[in-house]
Amino acid sequence: MTISPEKIDVVIVGSGAAGSLMAAKLSQAGKKVLILEAGPERKLQDLTSSQIHARRLKWAGDAVTEQGAQPVGNGFNSGYGTGGSALHHYGVWPRLHSEDFKVKSLFGKGLDWPINYGDLQPYYDRIQQEVGISGDHQAEVWRPDGAAYPLPPVPAFQQSEIIARGFTKLGKTTSPLPMALNSHEYNDRPGCLWDGWCDAGCPTKALANPLAVYLPEADKQGAKIIHQATVSRILTDKSGKKATGVTYRTAAGDEVTQLAGMVVLAAFAIQTPRLLLNSGLANRSGLVGSYIMSHSAASVFGLFEDETAPYMGPTGGQMLNQDSYDHKDQRPQGFGSYQWMIGLAVKPNDLLGIGGSNPGLFGAKLTDFMKTAAQHFGNMTACVEDLPLAQNRVTLSTETDQYGLPLATVHHSADAASMALWQGALEEGKQIFKAADAREIWTGPLGPMHIMGGTIMGETAETSVTNSYGQCHDIDNLFIAGPGLFPTSGGVNPTFTVHALALRSTDYMLKNWSSLT
Amino acid sequence: MKITRRNFSLTGGALSLSFLLNGGIIHLSPAQAKERALPYQTLTPGQAALIDLLGDAIVPGAKSAGLSYYIDHQLSAEFQDNLLILRYLRVPAPFDGFYASSLAAFESAISQKYNKKPRDLTETEMTAFITAMMQSNPDGWQHAPPAPFFYFVLRSDAIDVTYGTMDAFDSLDIPYMAHIEPGHTWEVNP
Ligand SMILES: Cc1cc2nc3c(=O)[nH]c(=O)nc-3n(C[C@H](O)[C@H](O)[C@H](O)COP(=O)(O)OP(=O)(O)OC[C@H]3O[C@@H](n4cnc5c(N)ncnc54)[C@H](O)[C@@H]3O)c2cc1C
Ligand code: SF4
Repeated sequence: MTISPEKIDVVIVGSGAAGSLMAAKLSQAGKKVLILEAGPERKLQDLTSSQIHARRLKWAGDAVTEQGAQPVGNGFNSGYGTGGSALHHYGVWPRLHSEDFKVKSLFGKGLDWPINYGDLQPYYDRIQQEVGISGDHQAEVWRPDGAAYPLPPVPAFQQSEIIARGFTKLGKTTSPLPMALNSHEYNDRPGCLWDGWCDAGCPTKALANPLAVYLPEADKQGAKIIHQATVSRILTDKSGKKATGVTYRTAAGDEVTQLAGMVVLAAFAIQTPRLLLNSGLANRSGLVGSYIMSHSAASVFGLFEDETAPYMGPTGGQMLNQDSYDHKDQRPQGFGSYQWMIGLAVKPNDLLGIGGSNPGLFGAKLTDFMKTAAQHFGNMTACVEDLPLAQNRVTLSTETDQYGLPLATVHHSADAASMALWQGALEEGKQIFKAADAREIWTGPLGPMHIMGGTIMGETAETSVTNSYGQCHDIDNLFIAGPGLFPTSGGVNPTFTVHALALRSTDYMLKNWSSLT
Repeated sequence: MKITRRNFSLTGGALSLSFLLNGGIIHLSPAQAKERALPYQTLTPGQAALIDLLGDAIVPGAKSAGLSYYIDHQLSAEFQDNLLILRYLRVPAPFDGFYASSLAAFESAISQKYNKKPRDLTETEMTAFITAMMQSNPDGWQHAPPAPFFYFVLRSDAIDVTYGTMDAFDSLDIPYMAHIEPGHTWEVNP
């Protein structure tokens, strides 16, 4: 065991969306920051435009066992290395709605957040200005209050325009999809080229991944990052009420102790609870690991007479519909909210590609389909809410890593009301495609999308792991950041909220630094 | 011709496989490796032939695109660098057992149903078999991952090599529009 000689102000575990933002903000405030990242170093120039290469960005750390009827898909939904999952995320950045924060009190289901939309709104506004979101807040008739987006919306290419005809015919509304990518140059980052390579990681910085925005800022302010440094335990003083640092393993297997005044866990929704469970910390509630959630993706596909240019645009889509969002109890079936992301740019291969959309086709029929679909394909995906259930959780496995540390097991079986909602979304999607005159329509199987929960925030130490700032109830200088904090999932992509929460946490930390450390 | 080491090409392109051959590293696409009939590293020749046979029946063109070389090469890569679709799909690495057991099950199920070697099936028989394996385990399919899952995985691998390259995009009239092009194939280092 080596002890790093230098005690630092704050050690951050994980260099993804949450960790990189916190590193930038805390180092800007003059704090000495170290990020420990389990995965390898990645640079913008490593982000080769290929769906096959893109797979190297996926989780390759300690194995995760998945159980349950609807597994969360860690292999697809988690990243590894500089920038974490966020390095190759698609930049679809809508806000949660007011109802999402009060699901329990409004509907008697799920949980409440310890904050409401109004508490987070200023942070959403600050982040969007800093990062640069493209969108049209007025066209987004469903959007809760907030500042106008700093950038004009992403353009609509043929695919989304054609699908939007179906929404219009059925009396539904569409708007541009709010995206954390530049519709034109912003803050020294270039405009998007609409080539659909976001899943392989955007190397131009048009998309606000951690290598484009917060990691360069953290670096400029003197924050350090060590790669292939897998944190294995959080250390505390004898009282157990104060974190003193972490231990981590280097690539060579050496164990290093890093002392720090503040510890931030930003290792995403599975590894953060694993770390807490392996350290035996912050679990007075017995809820560390509980309430793991994953949106269900409801994917609808079709072939259209018109050419759709389905390869154009960002991977995440071009248009949005949130008609089935508010009034979670008023869906034709099931309970909750969902949104449609319309006109995702596709490539021929990969799980989300043209070929993958229609797995029953093979032989000559597949060859014909690929030729036609390359020019006439259309697709949209609903991001469907998942109710939080205590039994959906991360636990420690009986299996261990090579150093004897228990691995994570994740169990996830969705609530029947969430499954019914997903089914309802598929039915609606098929009607929309019919109205858009698709000549062939089919749907995909349930795919898990985004991982949330596991270290939820709440009002009390009995019912949650942290307070609304991500501060562990039992340990003042131990913070958690990331979607693991969410008590409910909403029906929107999580990363804008991850940023807003992390910014709120850093404000709080900096204001209270001396009393916390 | 002896291959002493295979490496994953970190700087090369998505489908560039690197071989240490006669003292020099060469980068070849799976299709070029196929053309040169290079020996396999992990797969046996029999397994490689089965992969090409079934893969090509599912995704026409997969064999000449070098499907068996692609899979063979990926099977000898570290998990972190592995590009097989399997890494998405909750199958613990290493993956060679997945392919070996599925191919053995494929052969024995064909033998049970048709009393033939897979290569001797007629097109109609192969189509019927694939249609069946897509839905459930055919009789004789045992000690292996479920047949529909293997179908899905092999189909995805075959689509990767057949449709995931710059040339393939071109043949579908899809502009590749790379920010960073996957490296090209033919390159010999001293
Ligand atoms: C393909 C894909 C597309 C997505 N698209 C969108 C989208 O369009 N919109 C959206 O809102 N969200 C999207 N997401 C989700 C988004 O990426 C996540 O919500 C977000 O990255 C979570 O941030 P995080 O900081 O908590 O975790 P991450 O960004 O995953 O970062 C966590 C980091 O912690 C590291 N780590 C883990 N364990 C340890 C340890 N023990 N020691 C040290 N380091 C460790 C990991 O290697 C990783 O780098 C997408 C995700 C994927 C995979
Ligand atoms: S489509 Fe735009 S955001 Fe996506 S990779 Fe290309 S330039 Fe980047």
